[in-house]
Amino acid sequence: MKHLTTKQLVLIKGTKEGLVLQLDDQCAYSDLLDELKRKVTEDGLEGQAEVTIHVGNRYCCQEQLKEILHIVQQSKHLKVSKIKSDVITVEECNQKLLKSQSATYIGIVRSGQEIRAEGDLVVIGDVNPNGKVVAGGSIYVMGRLKGIAHAGAQGNRDCVIAASWLEATHLKIADLMELMTNEVTILAEKPEMECAYIHSNGQIAIDRLQDLRILRPNLSTFKGGS
Amino acid sequence: MGEAIVITSGKGGVGKTTTTANLGTALALQNKKVCLIDTDIGLRNLDVILGLENRIIYDLVDTVEGRCKIQQALVKDKRFDDLLFLLPAAQTSDKNAVTPQQMKTLVEELKLDFDYVLIDCPAGIEQGYKNAVAGADRAIVVTTPEISAVRDADRIIGLLEQEEIEPPKLIINRIRPQLMKNGDSMDVNEITTHLSIDLLGIIPDDEQVIRSSNKGEPIVMEPSTQAAIAYRNIVRRILGESVPLMSLENEHKGVFAKIKALFAK
Repeated sequence: MKHLTTKQLVLIKGTKEGLVLQLDDQCAYSDLLDELKRKVTEDGLEGQAEVTIHVGNRYCCQEQLKEILHIVQQSKHLKVSKIKSDVITVEECNQKLLKSQSATYIGIVRSGQEIRAEGDLVVIGDVNPNGKVVAGGSIYVMGRLKGIAHAGAQGNRDCVIAASWLEATHLKIADLMELMTNEVTILAEKPEMECAYIHSNGQIAIDRLQDLRILRPNLSTFKGGS
Repeated sequence: MGEAIVITSGKGGVGKTTTTANLGTALALQNKKVCLIDTDIGLRNLDVILGLENRIIYDLVDTVEGRCKIQQALVKDKRFDDLLFLLPAAQTSDKNAVTPQQMKTLVEELKLDFDYVLIDCPAGIEQGYKNAVAGADRAIVVTTPEISAVRDADRIIGLLEQEEIEPPKLIINRIRPQLMKNGDSMDVNEITTHLSIDLLGIIPDDEQVIRSSNKGEPIVMEPSTQAAIAYRNIVRRILGESVPLMSLENEHKGVFAKIKALFAK
């Protein structure tokens, strides 16, 4: 009889964050499902608890995750808050890499052209009026930014737009947009070496590039040094 | 084997056609065999500026569709014996009557016979532009010191940089030195740094250009005018000479003013 084997395939552990359903990642998937079904219908459970499912090093496709979720949800006592896994596919990994990398574009972004990057974007050259640069992360322009820039395009409000010469017509960070018209008071007389960011008051502000280390210390990925 | 140069601008009315006519004429004056192609199908006027309107028999579309041989469609400018020819645009069709591939074949064929093939591009970035650029080896972008013209030039340069041709060169047309001096229009330096391409030449605004265009005689034929000198300088640069940019100061100053200017430095 399977349930007499010494190794338990489904472990219920209590942690600070609530219950964790630790699923064995070495056994056959079908055995795991059987055991899981048995465990969640056991009489020992009472009340309603939030539970995290941890599938360990087993790679489960979306269908399998749904199946597991479905089984656990059959119990009135367990409410799944999230599913954790130690493995991701190569594709997902590449996506993540792309987002954390910074892309470099050397050239002039001219009127009507659009440059996109998943992560940070470094432009070496000018962004001319009606030219557009869009990045999932921050945008750094070594040159004149005279067009449109959109940082944090996927919604990250911590991203910044920095330029040697910040003369953009439109600045967008995440879901906020600022039209750089003459009425905007944040415009400096000499827009040299500046960065735009979302101020704690919820509006786009512009400050000296040097202030970035105080405003957004987390943007630094540099480790070590003295 | 000759060279094909497209003259383009994006915006209309900045002087593409006038520039094409004058550069072509000036090249012919330098003993080069030149063919001008008007690709503004439906709105042709290169023929008018050259004063060749009445001699058109066949046009670009006739050639491309095989209704005539290229030689039959070429209009010879009798002022330059066998040096300057025009392939006029059709007036009755539209820009879709020709494809970029057809243009390419046509220009390749003309390059065998001519030293220079200048292609006058229509305004805009649609089919007409694509046709004009298709056969070109080099491009000249014409702009004026107006912001709108510079914006469009920027757009067109962006498109040209995606083509497999040499980096485009810039001509700034219709310069009014007084406005530039007072800061009421962009100055030459500002425009070239904004567009960041090489400057081929500058042409001052001159009433005489309009007058000569209306007469059908390109201004370069009257070498006394500043615009004529400017066009001739550009042609010398195209031919590989190094010619300094012309001074924009009004040259008709009196002797006294000139001496005064010397001391003012």
